[in-house]
Amino acid sequence: MPEYSLSAIETMLRDLPRAEFRARLRRDLERMSTTMMTTSEVSVAGTVRKGFRTVTPYVVVRDAPGLIEFAARAFGAEETGRFVGAGLHAEVRIGDSMLMIGGGMPPGRPYDGPQWTTAFHIYVPDTDAVHERAIRAGATSVGEPMDQPYGERSSGVKDAFGNTWYIATAQGEHHVPSGMQTVNVYLHPLRAEPLIAFMTNAFGAGNVQKFASPDGVIQHAQVTIGDTVIEMGEANGPYQPMPTRFYLYVADVDGGYRRALDAGATSISEPMDLPYGERVAGVADAFGNQWYLATPVAR
Amino acid sequence: MADPDERLLVEAAQHDPSRFADLYERHFERVYAFVVRRVRVHDAAEELTAEVFHRALAHLPRFETRGAPFGAWLFSIARNALIDRAKLATREVVDSDSLPEIGGGPDADDELDRVEALARLFRYVDELPADQRTVIVDRFVEDRSIRETAQRLGRSEGAIKQLQHRALETLRRGMRAPAEDGDA
Repeated sequence: MPEYSLSAIETMLRDLPRAEFRARLRRDLERMSTTMMTTSEVSVAGTVRKGFRTVTPYVVVRDAPGLIEFAARAFGAEETGRFVGAGLHAEVRIGDSMLMIGGGMPPGRPYDGPQWTTAFHIYVPDTDAVHERAIRAGATSVGEPMDQPYGERSSGVKDAFGNTWYIATAQGEHHVPSGMQTVNVYLHPLRAEPLIAFMTNAFGAGNVQKFASPDGVIQHAQVTIGDTVIEMGEANGPYQPMPTRFYLYVADVDGGYRRALDAGATSISEPMDLPYGERVAGVADAFGNQWYLATPVAR
Repeated sequence: MADPDERLLVEAAQHDPSRFADLYERHFERVYAFVVRRVRVHDAAEELTAEVFHRALAHLPRFETRGAPFGAWLFSIARNALIDRAKLATREVVDSDSLPEIGGGPDADDELDRVEALARLFRYVDELPADQRTVIVDRFVEDRSIRETAQRLGRSEGAIKQLQHRALETLRRGMRAPAEDGDA
């Protein structure tokens, strides 16, 4: 054992953690673990459908097959499921992430309801090549590939259906940074704090990280719901709010629905068992996003 | 480092996340020590420590108990979190070269020993009598003078000096004793 002088010990004591912090973090983790119960029962008991994450973005456009085709050509998306009713509900996989895509199938099944488009932050092995492919697949560039100070090479495109894709390659061991998914939803709320508070109270979001500029604008923030990261940056310039529709797996739809309403959401649809084997409830948050809470039920 | 107790704790938490608190209690000091030695600022160390445990809780179902020890897994999460932070906020100082030397210890590759020693010291502080602990926090964390501490606690300066002295001696004795296995 090395001998520690009193002055060495005094120096080490300057790094002593604050007791309030230790207790606060424990409470925070305990609160998070009660909602997590959901996610780990997931892996154990199948609350999240196999292959899905806790949160899945749900894009709705007039030409759903067109968007699927674009995602396949630009990003190598793979269609894993297609259900045709009045319109289309499809599921596609990109890397380790799932997207739900719904809407119309022109010309036979037109759709003129509201469209739900999303801004995505997608990690790829080679930003320049994927940017090029996306343009060839019909997207328009909103930012040419460039090295960013935060350790990514990134670019931006807008597809013909209204979605924005921030294409990025992390400059680290892997092109997807640790803790992130291949495809991450990137929100642009007017203000990030109230949205983060809502996601925390309603859905047990945790691991909140915020990066503000000196004038207090939150340039970048991210939260984790279950196993899924959601990113955001406060709206500015061309980056204006793009309300997003989410499909969110929870252990207890009824309880989750009540918690969301308590947190300030309004009801879209009360919890009910749907014929495809899931109990689902819908809520809208005060920021324009819609959240469909779901859990598989025995048929 | 086969630790059957730890393995049980991890498996319990994988089945019931509310049991994660046991793992948190066991590893808090170690993670904080690991992080604070690199960022040197309490606010940043707190944010990163919180992030490490949040990530660990979220990814716990994927932790493999037959692989590396849980503590090593937490350190790898911490390492990644430090790297991410360095990337996102380039202004933040993440510099392992500017770490102060701890007297006596062999230098270079024993960073982990230093982390463990610091974690051990943190735990010894927790075990101090309340009045000694308060004085240690006031003097070394809050950086208050003997006089300020005395005024704040309504004690004489002599009493504060004595409490500080006793606390430091207890800590030094603790640090001299061989590390207990398993701690916590």
